[in-house]
Amino acid sequence: MNYSSKLLDHFRNPRNFGPLKNPTITSQVGNPRCGDVMKLYLRINKNKDNQDFIKDISFETMGCAAAIATSSILTELAKSKTLKEALELNNQAIVDSLGGMPLPKIHCSLLAIEALVAAIYNFYKQENYPIPDSVQQRYNRINTTCKIEE
Amino acid sequence: MNLSTKSRYALRALSNLLQQDSCLSIKTISQREKISSDYLEKIFSKLKKSNLLKVTRGANGGYSLARPANQITLKEIVDILEKKQFSCPSSCFCRSKTVWQQIYSNFNHYLQAITLDDLKASSKKVIYLDHAASTPVDPQVISTMIHTLQPAYSASTSSIHQYGRQAFQLLEDSRQKMAKILNVSPKEIIFTSSATESNNTILKGVAFANQHKGKHIIISSIEHDCIRQSAHWLKSQGFEITGIPVDKEGFINLDALKKSIRPDTILVSIIHANNEIGTIQDLQKISQICQQKKVYFHTDASQSFTKIPINLKKTPVDFLTASSHKIYGPKGAALLYIKSGSKIIPLLHGGGQESNFRSSTVNLPAIVAFTKAAQIAIANMKEENKKITQFRDYLIKEILTKIPKTHLNGPKNNRLANNINISFDNIEGESLLLDLDFNGIIASTGSACASNSLEASHVLLAIGKDHQQAHSSLRFSLGCQTTQTDLDYLLKILPQSVKKLRKLSPFK
Repeated sequence: MNYSSKLLDHFRNPRNFGPLKNPTITSQVGNPRCGDVMKLYLRINKNKDNQDFIKDISFETMGCAAAIATSSILTELAKSKTLKEALELNNQAIVDSLGGMPLPKIHCSLLAIEALVAAIYNFYKQENYPIPDSVQQRYNRINTTCKIEE
Repeated sequence: MNLSTKSRYALRALSNLLQQDSCLSIKTISQREKISSDYLEKIFSKLKKSNLLKVTRGANGGYSLARPANQITLKEIVDILEKKQFSCPSSCFCRSKTVWQQIYSNFNHYLQAITLDDLKASSKKVIYLDHAASTPVDPQVISTMIHTLQPAYSASTSSIHQYGRQAFQLLEDSRQKMAKILNVSPKEIIFTSSATESNNTILKGVAFANQHKGKHIIISSIEHDCIRQSAHWLKSQGFEITGIPVDKEGFINLDALKKSIRPDTILVSIIHANNEIGTIQDLQKISQICQQKKVYFHTDASQSFTKIPINLKKTPVDFLTASSHKIYGPKGAALLYIKSGSKIIPLLHGGGQESNFRSSTVNLPAIVAFTKAAQIAIANMKEENKKITQFRDYLIKEILTKIPKTHLNGPKNNRLANNINISFDNIEGESLLLDLDFNGIIASTGSACASNSLEASHVLLAIGKDHQQAHSSLRFSLGCQTTQTDLDYLLKILPQSVKKLRKLSPFK
């Protein structure tokens, strides 16, 4: 099993880690049972077009090197994006940004996206925004067991 | 047979050059390696003429390799710089000439097999603490193996001609030596290709040969995957499998074993010393229970062979598995002790080698090397165990006191001398493994994240650890080359790695 040099770099030098002071919202996905837990901290502000955007983002992850690297790259990819743009990120974007990932580790990239979706979902709830169907569906699909979905 | 100063200096200078991606000037290398720059200039201009080095002009210029390091062999370099070829100096014929020619030719081929990339890798300091997975081959064993690869032993051991007879003789010598180690008859030793093959042979071979008596097989809950998966497959073939529980240190519950044996039980298979947590079972008691109940008993001794004395005259084991690459031998050889008179069907059918138990052309070089490795290990066992046990206990004590929230997995006593398995709360094993790897320390994890399934180590779950602890475990397995300096380095790096990863973790 070979990790790309980009992935190893994000594992060794993780970006944006540690709790964010006064986050607007947080999310936590994964299960210690499965060995992976990812926590995201988001500070969400309005941009000049009055859209919600991710002003700042950080993570805390317990997991394998791939889990840590995907968390790290996710924060880089999501930072400065509006929530709408952020929701367009998928696990393929993460895998591609890391220069590929061994097949057994693909679930780690799913976990990172789930953490982001959960954070945005939590934010919508907190702000009493209507939750779009697509977000609700993605939130419902978040894997809470250790089973890898085929 | 000496390398000239020129060649030695060239290799030193080149290995310095390899450490960097950029060019280096003669001056820099000469200062670093303390070689006079005039002398170096002479060497490098020869290497440049032969297209091994190239020169880049300019401010950051200097020498660099003309080709990738993995494409330049030491033989090329030596050939450019040495006046004479390495060959037998005497032109006359003598009876020992063939041997000397062989030695020179081996030497030349060896130089041809090594590239500058290997030189770079070997100059990196690595502390290898994964001996339970596989061991570096002992240099004496390598020489033995190379010798066995010579034409005189190249024939099939089944051939009747002189080469065949010579090869056969070596094979039977190996069998005798192995038999002596286990105190059994040579005809009870079968050579196979791996512990996995030995274990598969026993489970499947005994099951199908004895199914008229019953279809019940007992294994422990902490077996290696090759036993578990074989048992799992047998289940699909209509056999019934019982897993015997272990206590929190990994010891078999002997009462549960006694109670599990039924009239239709045909085989009990229990690992002698566990690969993950090092628990050594009471082989004597377990084998006696099986003997009394008249049921076949197999033990997988891959981790314990030549590390713990095993005397099969005294211990009534019917089948035993041992492996070469766990004891400083090469991969591709293992043995299976089959008590004479045992009913078993072979996995491989064919030419009837290994008394019909295992058809296949015999892998003689690996078997001879395996035997050599076993003999060396047996000769050093007492001394080695004493040293490694001290290291183990020191390391366990230091880790548990120096690093908070750490737990030893497995027993304090009756534990393999080389096995250390520790859970580090709130971090995942694989990430710790990789962080140590970056720092030149090689350890291992049974953690699920390393495999396709997300399930935690079945061994750690069987001894009652929760999933989180099972995911956060790391195994250090010591070896005969481990030194106190290695341990001190590990004890310096490990707390830093753990601290770093805990800082990343959402759990504090």
